[in-house]
Amino acid sequence: MTVPVVTARNLGKTIGRKSILHDISVDVEPGSVVGIIGKNGAGKTTLMDVLLGFSPATSGSSGLFGHDSFTLPGDIRGRIGFVPQQDELVTMLDGQQHLEMAAALQGRWNRELTNRLQRAWELPMDRAVRQLSGGERQKLSILLALGHEPELLVLDEPVAALDPISRRQFLQELLAIAGSPGRTVLFSTHIVSDLERVADRIWIVRGGTIAWAGLLDELKESVVRLNVTARRALPQRLPLEGVISLRLAGHRANAVVSRWDESTLPALRKVLDADIDVEPLSLEDLFVEFHS
Amino acid sequence: MERSPILRIFTLQPSSGVPIYRQLIEQVRRLVASGQLTPGTELPSVREVAAEYTVNPTTISKAYSLLEGEGLLQRNRGKPMTIAGGRQKAGALPQRLRQIEPQVAALVLAARQLDLSSIELCQFISKKMGEES
Repeated sequence: MTVPVVTARNLGKTIGRKSILHDISVDVEPGSVVGIIGKNGAGKTTLMDVLLGFSPATSGSSGLFGHDSFTLPGDIRGRIGFVPQQDELVTMLDGQQHLEMAAALQGRWNRELTNRLQRAWELPMDRAVRQLSGGERQKLSILLALGHEPELLVLDEPVAALDPISRRQFLQELLAIAGSPGRTVLFSTHIVSDLERVADRIWIVRGGTIAWAGLLDELKESVVRLNVTARRALPQRLPLEGVISLRLAGHRANAVVSRWDESTLPALRKVLDADIDVEPLSLEDLFVEFHS
Repeated sequence: MERSPILRIFTLQPSSGVPIYRQLIEQVRRLVASGQLTPGTELPSVREVAAEYTVNPTTISKAYSLLEGEGLLQRNRGKPMTIAGGRQKAGALPQRLRQIEPQVAALVLAARQLDLSSIELCQFISKKMGEES
C-alpha cells in the first residue's frame, strides 16, 4: 500500500470569527499532478499553506508523507519544493547568491537542471533581485524550488507573471517532473488551459471547501451540455439527473448535467421526441457552470 | 533529435471538452480505418507525444493502453508500439461511417436549427473536403 503524499481529514481553518476553510478531506497519491482552480478568495492559498504546515489548522488534520504537516521533521521538509504566490526573495541579493544559499540549505542540488533553466529562461543571475522584473523573480523562485528535485512540488499561481513562451517552457519542465516516477505536483492557476495540459486531477475550490475533486477526464466525461430540440412542447420537468443548470422554452431546452451516462441517450431521445445534441464542456465552461 | 513525422499527424486540443485521451483514440481509429496508418507502422512514444503537444503523459499512455485493449495497437518489448496487423485493413464503408456518426448527428442538428437543406449542406461539405485535399 502506498502512503498518500498529502492527506487532509475534516480540515478547517478559522481566523477570528471568519471561516476560511472547512470540511476538507483529500488524499493525493504519489505521481499525480493536481490542478487547483477556484475564484479569487475561494481559499486556495490558505489551503496550500495549511496542507504544507505553514499555518496551523483550527480543526481536523493534514499530513505530508505520513507525518503531521504542522510538526514536520526537517528531512521530510527537504522532500518538498514550494513556489509561493508572493515570492520570498531578498531584494539586495542576486540570483546566484540565492541559488548558493538554497543549495547549501538543501544539501543536494541538481546544477545541471538549474543551469539549463537559467539559460533557457535568460535569467540574469548576477543582478540583484530588486532589479529583476516580476516575471524574472517568478522564474528565479521556480528555479530555487526545483533545484533539490523535490518529491512534492507545490506551486501557487506559478505562471501569473510569465510570458506565453516562458510559460510553455515551464509547463514542459513540469511535465518532465510529472513523468518521473513517484513525483507529485500540486498547483493552482487561473489559466485553465495550462491546467488542462498538465493536470490529471482537479480540485475545484469554492467557498472554502473542495467542491469537486477527481480525474480531469472523468469530470469532462460526466458533465455535458444537452441541447434539446423537440418536435412538441417539452414538459416542465425533464427526466434528467444531476442538473446543474437548465434553460427551457417551448420546444427547446438547454441543460448542463453532471453524472451523464451516454447509454441513456437513445431512451431520452424517444421519451422527449427530440433531437438531442450532447456537447462536451471545456474546463473553463465547466468552472463557470459550477458557479452559476 | 529526429522527430517522427507521425507526431504531427494528430490534432490534440487540451481545451476541448473531449478528454485528450479520447481525442487520440478517435484519431488513431479513424486513421487506421481509412488506411492512413497501416499495420506495422511505429507510433511515437508516450513521452514524445506528451512533449510535442505539451500534455500530461498519463493521458497519452491511457489512450495507447485502451487502443491496445481494442487490438488496434501492439505493444513490443523495448520497441515502439505499432499498428497491429490482421483484421483492420481499411475498414468497410459502413464501419467508417459509424465512426463519424456522432459528429454527423451534431451537424444535422445544427443544420436543422439553421434551416439548411440536406442538398445545401452536402454541397458545402463537398466544397470543404475539396479545399482540404
